[in-house]
Amino acid sequence: MDVDPRQYENIGVNENDIHQIVLSYLVHNCFKDTVESFVACTGLKQPVDHLEDMEKRKRIYDFALDGNSSKAIELTEQFAPGLLESNKDLHFDLLSLHFVELVCSRKIDEALGFAQSNFTLFGKEQKYVEKLEDFMALLAYEEPEKSPMFHLLSSEHRQNVADSLNRAILAHAKLPSYSAVERLIQQTTVVKQCLSQEFGKV
Amino acid sequence: MGGVEDDEPPSKRVKATFGESGVVSNSLSVREQGSCSLSDSMAWLLESQGDDEVVGSKGVFKKVEFVRIIAEALHSLGYSKAEASLQEESGIPLHSPVVNSLMHQILDGQWDKSVSMLHETGQIDETIIKLASFIILEQKFFELLDGGKVMDALKTLRTEIAPLCINDNRVQELSSFILSSSQESRLKPRRKLLEELHKLLPATLMIPGKRLVHLVEQALDSQKVACAFHNSSVGKMSLLTDHQCGRDHIPSQTLQILRDHSDEIWFLQFSHSGKYLASSSGDCLVFIWEVNVDGQVSVKHRLFGHQKPVSFISWSPNDDQLLTCGVEEAVRQWDTASGECLKIYEKTGLGLISCAWTPDGKNVFSGVTDKSIIMWDLEGKEVECWKGQRTIRIADLGITMDGKELITVCKDNMILLFGLDTNSEKFIREDQIITSFALSEDRKSLLVSLLNQELHLWNIDGCPELVKKYKGYKRSRFVVRSCFGGLKQAFIASGSEDSQVYIWHRDSGELVMTLSGHSGAVNCVSWNPVNPHMLASASDDRTIRIWGLNQVNMDYNGKKHSSNGVHYCNGGS
Repeated sequence: MDVDPRQYENIGVNENDIHQIVLSYLVHNCFKDTVESFVACTGLKQPVDHLEDMEKRKRIYDFALDGNSSKAIELTEQFAPGLLESNKDLHFDLLSLHFVELVCSRKIDEALGFAQSNFTLFGKEQKYVEKLEDFMALLAYEEPEKSPMFHLLSSEHRQNVADSLNRAILAHAKLPSYSAVERLIQQTTVVKQCLSQEFGKV
Repeated sequence: MGGVEDDEPPSKRVKATFGESGVVSNSLSVREQGSCSLSDSMAWLLESQGDDEVVGSKGVFKKVEFVRIIAEALHSLGYSKAEASLQEESGIPLHSPVVNSLMHQILDGQWDKSVSMLHETGQIDETIIKLASFIILEQKFFELLDGGKVMDALKTLRTEIAPLCINDNRVQELSSFILSSSQESRLKPRRKLLEELHKLLPATLMIPGKRLVHLVEQALDSQKVACAFHNSSVGKMSLLTDHQCGRDHIPSQTLQILRDHSDEIWFLQFSHSGKYLASSSGDCLVFIWEVNVDGQVSVKHRLFGHQKPVSFISWSPNDDQLLTCGVEEAVRQWDTASGECLKIYEKTGLGLISCAWTPDGKNVFSGVTDKSIIMWDLEGKEVECWKGQRTIRIADLGITMDGKELITVCKDNMILLFGLDTNSEKFIREDQIITSFALSEDRKSLLVSLLNQELHLWNIDGCPELVKKYKGYKRSRFVVRSCFGGLKQAFIASGSEDSQVYIWHRDSGELVMTLSGHSGAVNCVSWNPVNPHMLASASDDRTIRIWGLNQVNMDYNGKKHSSNGVHYCNGGS
């Protein structure tokens, strides 16, 4: 179902709304310098620490993306205390990133030790057992990159974990975990799909 | 045997030493591992192949193999001394030296040596070597874990097990055990590993356990199959004589004549439980009979209501109800216990010609004079109707066990197997006109009666296939019905226009018996599904005959006297 673009002219858009949308995108992705100049140009009000907070969040994100999850965990504990305790899935993902690091650097003894001290608790809950099996399987291969579990070492996986961490920290700070523009695109797509299904039936 | 040995070349005596060292159960010394090289094992093989001596009048099998399986049988029975003597006296060892070493190494936990020994046998192919190595190394892994040597276990996993590149799923499982090593031990005893290995290795290398027992069981099975009159559960069979039942296990004597019908009897059928018998006659009546505990059959109900003679009766899956179909009329549903007519299924303006229950007892099928098929629910509501050339005026209608296919005669010489959900069609094509058909109890076989006085047995499990033909009975003008019956439905029975009942052995096709007694054409037969010794036949002479075992050999209860349940009837004596 296609709508005539000329109808768009009938809808008025508030400039302040647009500014908020752009700002939320920049904040979500920690573009600190851009935020600074944007706020200066548009005169939007922001909380005092917002630049500092963004900086800290960026550092955490970068460490996670690099695979240096022990540093990421340390900083998260400082910045958002209690976050990881209440978010076990995330905690597990971060710990497993560290585990993967050790396996990749062929530090098998350390990896085993790390697994034994950190993962045994998780192993008691059914939903982590399968995930744990996948990770432990990496230990069985001398060349984990060639094992069936190689996707666990990929940068896509680290990206996913880093993104989840970012969202969790934002939620913890009572900020939206998804940028407005992301949500708008998702919403429009879903509505379009719904409507074409409905019209399709008739 | 003694005479032959003297002429044998000296190599025989060398084999005797092999035999001694080859015995595992005694604690005699095994040859040193180092000296058990490839050439030794090859030499052993060549020597045994040199013995082409055969056993038996047909010369079909080798003495070496025969002695080895006897030795294995002695071993399984626990007679280790006898086993050792046999190996010594015959000079034929049960296992080759390599296999013996392998077995010792496994029981001693010498894993690495046993894995390399696998390669030395020279008789196993790559995949099996890998599978066998896998399970041996798994044992090594678990034993290390169990002993707290986690790093060593991990090393085994990484450097020995994973590189085999088979069974990645198991490798994954093993790695997860590393974490939970403190929990339940998954270690199995070494004996068990040996058993598993035994199953994996080829029979030529290691004789499968209980091989002789397996061969004997096979022989007994084929004796049973060949037994033309096998119609009673035998229990334990004797090994001392070949099994053969006598004719006295097939119903051959009229035990009872039921004269309650007043017209030609067209159809009869036992219920699934064998407790009831239903029959219908030309005077439009249907009778339900009860089979009493003493085997006597008596009238339970007379069912009035049909305006036309009933040509087909179908018992519900649990026998609580009965469907009867009047010729081109209506289908009536009756309650077995009370004899009450519960429902009448009709199609206005048309007549119904056949009826059947779905296996779950929730729906009723019927063929219609306009060649379509209808399905009703038990409320009488028409659920579905399949139009087109589905069925002609033949009263037989059948359904497969899973309720998915309907079986009907759609053309003079064709039977249609119609998939109800898929609308798929499979056909059985005959050269002659089909007069009726019967389904076996497991619904995997179909018996088709043809115009030319032949019965054709078809396997309908999957693609229909003609299995056997039966001849001998007489049919020219009327529909004569046949059925499966006897123990495990091993027999085929049919009525005939010459007033006799014909019985064939199903697997061999041999005509086993003809039963005389009726004075008119026998239209229909039914074999009690639960009592293989009871057969009922319906005739134009207005009687139903109940056939049973020859009473001369029976005691009062109709059971054959036998002390141990084994039948020694040799036909000739």
